[in-house]
Amino acid sequence: MSPEMATRLIDDLGALLLVTMLIILASGQLFRAIYAVAAQAVFLGIAGAVLAAATGNVDLWVIAGITIVIKAVALPWLLIWVVKRIQMCREIEPVIPISVTLAFAAAIVMLSFHLSASLGPVRQAVTGNALPVGIALTLLGVLVMASRKKALTQMVGLFASENGIFFVAMAVSQGMPLIIEIGVILDVVLGALVMGIMVLRVRSTVDTDIADLETLKG
Amino acid sequence: MKVAAHIAVALAQAGLLVLLGPLVTGFVQKLKARLQCRQGADLWQPYRDLWKLLRKGTVQSDTASPFFQVVPVLALAATVVSATMMPVLWAPTDIVPVPLGDAILLLALLALARFVTAIGAFDAGGAFGGMGASREMTVGLLVEPALMMVVFSIAVVGGTTDLGDIAARRSTLAALSWQAPDLLALFALLVLIPAEAGRIPVDNPDTHLELTMLHEGMLLEHSGPGLACLALATHTRQLIVINLVAALFLPVGMAHGMSPVELAVALAAFAAKTLVLATFLGVVESSYAKLRFFRVPQFLGLGLLCAFLSLALRIL
Repeated sequence: MSPEMATRLIDDLGALLLVTMLIILASGQLFRAIYAVAAQAVFLGIAGAVLAAATGNVDLWVIAGITIVIKAVALPWLLIWVVKRIQMCREIEPVIPISVTLAFAAAIVMLSFHLSASLGPVRQAVTGNALPVGIALTLLGVLVMASRKKALTQMVGLFASENGIFFVAMAVSQGMPLIIEIGVILDVVLGALVMGIMVLRVRSTVDTDIADLETLKG
Repeated sequence: MKVAAHIAVALAQAGLLVLLGPLVTGFVQKLKARLQCRQGADLWQPYRDLWKLLRKGTVQSDTASPFFQVVPVLALAATVVSATMMPVLWAPTDIVPVPLGDAILLLALLALARFVTAIGAFDAGGAFGGMGASREMTVGLLVEPALMMVVFSIAVVGGTTDLGDIAARRSTLAALSWQAPDLLALFALLVLIPAEAGRIPVDNPDTHLELTMLHEGMLLEHSGPGLACLALATHTRQLIVINLVAALFLPVGMAHGMSPVELAVALAAFAAKTLVLATFLGVVESSYAKLRFFRVPQFLGLGLLCAFLSLALRIL
């Protein structure tokens, strides 16, 4: 695969990652957000495969495979399992209205494209628009975490944020050492497990929402 | 001579859109019926409805001013004129003698049709008409700028807002030459088409329940040939919007010359693209519920945001 072709495909996949991120931000239902984050992980895996084909780096194939298996199948399945288990309300409860969040999102994406333009030398090293898209995904993931009340939606934000970091890392380094990538993925899995279990435990012992923890402040 | 030929082609294309508009509606309704395990009326039902309405008399509310009577004609005229700007089968590659086909004018005429219909609804003095009009304008407020931004985002590449020119330029490129902003813009349009065509999840074309009507609410006070004009305008508008997507994103197979083979290929391509997008409309309509009206801005906000970002990415 020629480098220009790879750049173009990475650009297109970056746009798809942005679209899925915006769907996560705009979705009013928990399941839609979870499916969107799963789709995002699929696109991320495809981006990894494209980079692997372009650079001939075998590690990237492995990473693409792991990404799809864990982030696109296992983690969303875990989230859905938790949602069904605790039979929570499936509407997303935003802290600020979703339309306001969308306006913030527009500003963040513009800002990250503008900022990464000033990082000239770094941007040269990165394939296509991967750097601004990655920054935007990371910040938008944080926005999801900050603007949602439920722990599960915050987990979706965390996954999306992590996807952004992963995307940049793949594009910048043309594939990090396999051991580091696997370590990062393990971290996410562990985080998801801990959060999932915590949500279940909190729910079963005190029957409360994460937002109610606010009242514990002294 | 060349000018006359060009205008004739534009009129022929507009005629095609107007004639086929009801058929597309019939197709979507048939598809919906099949998906709901119903037999459904056949494809020609919208034509029969129009014919029936054309033969009926007109009843008009006492409070309506004389302007009320010209509203259907104006709305239909604006829609038909905007249909002439659409490259349907033929996208010229050479310099066009008359600039028929400007995207901004097309969207403005569609907005004019919407505005005239809303004014008519207010004029009749019915409560539902006013409510429907106010809702329709709220939706228009979100849809129109987003459509403009999508068109601009595509126009920036071609350096022209002439739809025929854009379609001709893009048809020479393979689908792989799509850039990232194109994907965002296409997604934005897919969110916006149901709203612009007056379909679920934004509007429900089948309902006459007062709380859920948007477009239908505005048509309540019209009857007879006037209602037929407005219904035909709605059918045509839907096909125009479908065709706008095809012209901007998939202008494959359009004729550049006048040979019969090219035109036949263009007709087949047009039918295929329309079929795909009409199926999209029908499937979306069957698989989603109508959104509560206060949720609509959130849904359309997604389209607006994607359109905005696609334009921003193109410029940055």
